[in-house]
Amino acid sequence: MSKTNRRDLLRLGGAAYLGTLFSGPFALKALAQAPAASPQMQHDYAGWEQLYRDKWSWDTKTRGAHLINCTGACPHWVYTKNGIVVREEASKDMPSLTGVPEYNPRGCNKGACGTDYLYGPHRVKYPLIRTGARGEGKWRRASWDEALGIIADKMLDTIRDHAVDCISVYTPVPAVAPVSFSAGHRFAHLIGAHTHTFFDWYGDHPTGQTQTCGVQGDTAEAADWFNAKLILLWGSSPAVTRIPDAHFINEAALNGSKIVSIAPDYNATTIKADTWIHPKPGTDTALALGMAHVLIRDKLVDVANVKEQTDLPYLVRTDTKKFLREADLVQGGSAAKFYVWDVKTKKPVLAKGCWGEEPPGGRPAAQPAYLGRNTLTFPDGTIALGDLDPALDGSFKATLKDGKSVDVKPVYALYAERILRDYTPKKVSEITGVAEKAIVDLAKAYGTTKPAMIISGGGTNHWYWSDIEIRAFHLLSSLTGNEGRNGGGVNHYIGQWKPVAVPGVLALSFPQGAARHRFTQTTIWTYVHADAYDAMETVGIDTRKYLRASLDQRMMPLYPREGRDPKVFIVYRGNFLNQAKGQKYVLQNLWPKLDLIVNLNLRMDSTALYSDIVLPAAHWYEKLDLQMTEEHTFVHMTEPAIPPMFESKHDWDVFALLAKKMQDRAIERGMSRVFDEQFNVSRDFSTLYAQQTDNGKLESAAQAAQFILDNAPATKGITLDMIRERPQRFKANWTSPIREGVPYTPFQFYTESKKPWPTLTGRQQFYIDHDWFIEMGVELPVYKAPVDADNFPLRFNTPHSRHAIHSTFKDNVLMLRLQRGGPLLEMPPGEAKARGLRDNDWAEVWNEHGRMICRVKIHNREPEGRVTMCHTPELYMDLIEGSTQSVCPIRINPTSLVGNYGHLLFRPNYYGPGGTQRDARVQVRRYTGVIPS
Amino acid sequence: MAKQITKPQKQLSFVVDLNKCIGCQTCTVACKKLWTNQRGEEPIYWRNVETRPGKGYPRNWENEGGGFNAAGEVQRGRMPTAGDYGVPFEFDYEARLFEGVPGRVRPRPAASGSGFASWAPNFDEDQGEGAYPNNYYFYLPRHCNHCSKPACLEACPNDAIYKRATDGVVLVDQTKCKAARNCVQACPYDKTYFNTATQKASKCIGCYPRIEKGVATACVAQCVGRAMHVGFMEDTASSVHKLVKVWKVGLPLYGERGTEPNMFYIPPVLGPAIEDAQGNLRTDKKIPLEYLVKLFGNDVPRVMKVLNDERGKRLMSQPSELMDIMIGRRSADMMLNPLT
Repeated sequence: MSKTNRRDLLRLGGAAYLGTLFSGPFALKALAQAPAASPQMQHDYAGWEQLYRDKWSWDTKTRGAHLINCTGACPHWVYTKNGIVVREEASKDMPSLTGVPEYNPRGCNKGACGTDYLYGPHRVKYPLIRTGARGEGKWRRASWDEALGIIADKMLDTIRDHAVDCISVYTPVPAVAPVSFSAGHRFAHLIGAHTHTFFDWYGDHPTGQTQTCGVQGDTAEAADWFNAKLILLWGSSPAVTRIPDAHFINEAALNGSKIVSIAPDYNATTIKADTWIHPKPGTDTALALGMAHVLIRDKLVDVANVKEQTDLPYLVRTDTKKFLREADLVQGGSAAKFYVWDVKTKKPVLAKGCWGEEPPGGRPAAQPAYLGRNTLTFPDGTIALGDLDPALDGSFKATLKDGKSVDVKPVYALYAERILRDYTPKKVSEITGVAEKAIVDLAKAYGTTKPAMIISGGGTNHWYWSDIEIRAFHLLSSLTGNEGRNGGGVNHYIGQWKPVAVPGVLALSFPQGAARHRFTQTTIWTYVHADAYDAMETVGIDTRKYLRASLDQRMMPLYPREGRDPKVFIVYRGNFLNQAKGQKYVLQNLWPKLDLIVNLNLRMDSTALYSDIVLPAAHWYEKLDLQMTEEHTFVHMTEPAIPPMFESKHDWDVFALLAKKMQDRAIERGMSRVFDEQFNVSRDFSTLYAQQTDNGKLESAAQAAQFILDNAPATKGITLDMIRERPQRFKANWTSPIREGVPYTPFQFYTESKKPWPTLTGRQQFYIDHDWFIEMGVELPVYKAPVDADNFPLRFNTPHSRHAIHSTFKDNVLMLRLQRGGPLLEMPPGEAKARGLRDNDWAEVWNEHGRMICRVKIHNREPEGRVTMCHTPELYMDLIEGSTQSVCPIRINPTSLVGNYGHLLFRPNYYGPGGTQRDARVQVRRYTGVIPS
Repeated sequence: MAKQITKPQKQLSFVVDLNKCIGCQTCTVACKKLWTNQRGEEPIYWRNVETRPGKGYPRNWENEGGGFNAAGEVQRGRMPTAGDYGVPFEFDYEARLFEGVPGRVRPRPAASGSGFASWAPNFDEDQGEGAYPNNYYFYLPRHCNHCSKPACLEACPNDAIYKRATDGVVLVDQTKCKAARNCVQACPYDKTYFNTATQKASKCIGCYPRIEKGVATACVAQCVGRAMHVGFMEDTASSVHKLVKVWKVGLPLYGERGTEPNMFYIPPVLGPAIEDAQGNLRTDKKIPLEYLVKLFGNDVPRVMKVLNDERGKRLMSQPSELMDIMIGRRSADMMLNPLT
């Protein structure tokens, strides 16, 4: 049966069609592919078989997606029978790209039981108002009217008694549900409340890529893995954390690609790799620089690429460690134009495309939120070198504008000298524990196999010095000319960070423009308002000094301003409390500051449990929204299989109702107009509902979804009906064009069209001459050991789990039955034995930040000196005390607080301090207290 | 007395590529949500994925006998105990989240002493054997083999088990089963369960309602590792035929138990080599060949050579039909229609 026929048949739906499909042998024979059996071959049992035929039947099937913090973005069909959603199945109708395996089927163990949250015991059915203590789980049922009235009044009280910026709305991850995301942002925007960053706070932001490339982050779609001839899985286990895409790794291997997995533990992806390299945890940068050593030593460097695409030829003053700037040499010269040394003319020559240079016609008005600057209007070929031949090696003299002569060296010369001196295979072997020969072999394979791809993950992205790690990965990729090539590049798959149609999301969220919106940087927000202790003084880093400077100079934003405390906290689509690092401080110090905590949720998660008012949200199968991801290049959707059950509502509708209620209460209380000093604007609360819905043009979620599609180049021309028919490929993307049938890989605007990179230097920038980088000794990507600020013996590793998406599905019964019923601390046998711990024993885990009591699973895939626990079980789950986040501190790296250096500036989720929990250390001992029954 | 089984017109057959199975359990859940989601069916996993080496599900199934002896007589194996399945965890979330009952939500059966459940379907996940860094493990998906010589069928005293003539699927007639449970003992794979609620034997039905419509089974159609093939062995264009009959790289699990399974495994050939104390790589793979031979028989070395040779061709950028079949760029080439 052809696909079209089948779809047409199913679209008929209804009883008439189902009657023929499921009610009898005649119809079955007609539809079956097999030729009719001869009578003597017929068995006589057929009657009872109808039992299971009936079970595999449905009245309707609708588009479904799982609107959670997951990168999968897996199109599903949702099947409904007699008004009950019975199950879901991957839709398997994603279009194919050319020459690579298809994306179908796309799903996972969690997505296959998404209905469980629809009907399960966690479901929030009605508006609830807390009657016990926060976290106790005692509630009374309220009407929507009452609950929204309390919330609106408390917000108006806060505006009257404190300031509007004391109202905080937290909702993360626009890509998975941009309409739902925008609902609360639009509301916050209109009243003047602040909203939050999340990509950085969650530890997903590839800070080093922003430093090097001037982008928030960009990666190849997963199908491009198949095009790599060599894949380095670096701290990444797709078989566990990128389940729908893991097949591309194994298929690449079968297709003749070599797979190397670099990870301390023998993980579920490594078991199929050709080579396993297991450095000591946190020493990966040293390994990368050891590889760079071999590439440079053995002349495996793509010199032409390095000269054109990177700042490595740029001249640095040896007296100040700063770039040689036009302002150094020329009166009135730019501080954002830089020099290379031209081998032919033996003179310093200004490089093209630097930050200080403007494209013909001036700077473009439109600034993509995910780029350091908009260089897309520069003509093609701008950074091409032409006749210029910049020196990479050597030492030169430059004459300053005052006539003084200074020594200058290309970055490459400075850096190569250090790499050749400090990162010999022998030294790197001592740091990492990896055999010298393995380092050399790896480097040579990487330097001689084209294209070669680095795939990195949480294993390398959650460290205090993760930024350097990604800078070093880019160094390897640039030295070998792998950037911008299909099958090449550096691809950090961590976090659901790519709402490809971002201009549409921004237009819906911020009708007055993002510049008129209060964004707070969440890592700083939590660190400050929770008064979190980071122990960094023990390693000689005064976080607060840098933080103060960053905030005073408005390099990074913090709300509320002027030392006020947040008062109203509205959280939805994110389990803020459960995921919060420094959780003990959050509960002890931040939570009491909040007069009202509101949670809009389909389930009673930990944040909901510790809230004052919980509002029932529609489940993913009861609402309409879009979904996008960085892992593939298709937009798909979910739509209501059934109407929202109980009293639950779509987030879009909830914030419209809240706007209406706020408007009514404001009018009643004589607060129709509120002046906002910071933006010098008078906000009209008497028309809030009309503003929220754009006078009815955005009344429904479907209208909002279409608005997003219409307002982004990636999706302009795509309609909801088209997506309902089949997932649709993006028409444009962030840093490379979308080519028919070709997997997307980033940065081709720079590597192929040769537009300037969106960095200060207009190149991939490895040298960052900001004072703070120089103070920390990281103006170049050099190895920095993990931060051992916790004086405890075991590294505490908190990866993602196979059986959960962060906290979602952690408490799912089916998932727990496929584990051991609860969270586990995985311990290597030697460490367990040394502590008298046996498999399944309860153990106490602690450090200076907090304590947790958990069961132990003895695991021989773990290296000694480390324990592992999949992150963030819910606070009501089967531990005796605490959770992973009890012992994970909030640590802010000063370099991530920089906001006054070209492309290093604050934009929400573009640059800012992130999660650095993998440096944490703990002690473990046998728990001898009372075990609750 | 051996029962007469008419050879089916076509035999539904499966190939599992252990080089591609990622142990994600999507198939397990897909099957459970479709077929065994009723009260009483909690311990019943028609489909499961277990870590190997390991005890599997039910615990130690491979050591419990069953199948046929050399004389062709069906063997009565040991009945798995309730402890070998483990009592499925239950959780009272409502009490904690909505009714203010203090404490944490504990899995039931309750913990006693320091331990808790005796066993569960994936209890020893990712554990395997060997000492770091030379430890090893891989995943083994299992469901009913829809054997050509089903021991369950042979053992059933009530003639409730039959093999369908049209597709070779082995089924338990739920109206004829009288709860003798001989099938549970006879199946050397412990893939026949007993449903305590209905008091009937319960086993994988080969997704026959889907097969009848030309649609792939739920486990294969949703296999996101793209590790499974399903088709009719007689269909020479099918990937199962090509892999098993032409390339001969699909091997039955414990084939010597005499049931003639129609589920075939491509043994794991990908994976790193062991290393010496200095961290230098040796040439032997971490998974011992003897272990694979134990599971998949004496043909393993031959199959490993074929797989290595064919992958070797791709490493040299030469074509390999076998690798192309295993890659399966289009799902439709690996199975019956994947669409529902």
